Amino acid sequence: MNESDETLLARILDGDEEAFAALYRRRQGPVYRFALHMTNRVAAAEDITQEVFLALLENGHRFDSSRGNLLSFLYGIARNHALRRIEKSWRMEPVAFVDDQPGTEDLLNDLMRRETVEQVRQAVVSLPPMYREAVVLCYLENLSYEEAAAVLECPVGTVRSRLSRGRLILAQKLIGHAVGNCL
Amino acid sequence: MSDDSIQDLLRALAEADASTEAPPEIEMRLRKKFRSRKRRRAWQGIAQWALWAPLVPAAAAVVMLFVFVHRKPAVAPVSPVSINTPALPYLEQVVPPQPEEIVTDFFPLMHPAPPFGRGKLLRVELPASAMKMVGLPVHEEHLADAVQADVLVGEEGLPRAIRFVKFDIK
Repeated sequence: MNESDETLLARILDGDEEAFAALYRRRQGPVYRFALHMTNRVAAAEDITQEVFLALLENGHRFDSSRGNLLSFLYGIARNHALRRIEKSWRMEPVAFVDDQPGTEDLLNDLMRRETVEQVRQAVVSLPPMYREAVVLCYLENLSYEEAAAVLECPVGTVRSRLSRGRLILAQKLIGHAVGNCL
Repeated sequence: MSDDSIQDLLRALAEADASTEAPPEIEMRLRKKFRSRKRRRAWQGIAQWALWAPLVPAAAAVVMLFVFVHRKPAVAPVSPVSINTPALPYLEQVVPPQPEEIVTDFFPLMHPAPPFGRGKLLRVELPASAMKMVGLPVHEEHLADAVQADVLVGEEGLPRAIRFVKFDIK
């Protein structure tokens, strides 16, 4: 039986460890990826993921389903932690991503694809946080504008304008990178 | 670079990272914390009870003392008019009669008595000489003895009537 996040949360607050494990397994991926894309640091992403679910244990009773779904609630906690860490340290360390799905292309194409993805990743993490979080939520985690607005606690129009501005900055960065590579 | 190209590149990044997940040790750490938190909360509950439990008898004693100190004078029912006063239609506080009590009729204390609307019945202790004042026979040697009486007090605060109580010892 596939219980809703909200049902699992109710069981968690009653002390059901299996419900906690089920919710964690269902939602840790998006939370972890969001934290990773925001901070570009594996250790930070791991810490944030842990803090998010601990915060859920402590403050899960504050979740209000009328303000959004539980995943948005988790993203909201992750966002707060990520922004706090970004404020503390602007120096980003390179992150080692493991590609679990080796491509079927030849080695050269695979390397080119990896390089391109890595360039985009670096461009995303270099965005100012207010644009980065909108880009990560909407383009990398596929949230709707409305869902992103709930997480970011801003109007949908603001999300749209941040995305537009974010794409513009990304284009400039990626063009700059491409030109740099050609020289 | 067009807007579509940017979105394509972002899509490629999303696909590349789609299977990225937190390492399994985080779940283990969280489950451990979940269990320790659950234990801690259980102990907190016990500790709270252990902290307050000894105070329960003391609190009960305080409440009983408070009730004892602030209790109102006993109030007994009034059977209307065995006295020459207007009828006693309504009393605010009425206590069920004590079976071992024997009471006299009411004796009016005001002549003439103004109209009586409502009042209270107060149980008081008086010297037996008070019985003599209303015409009841009291032996001289018992005039100073204490007797119990019910005084009917009107809502204006004046004593309207009195009856005397005798306890029938069975």
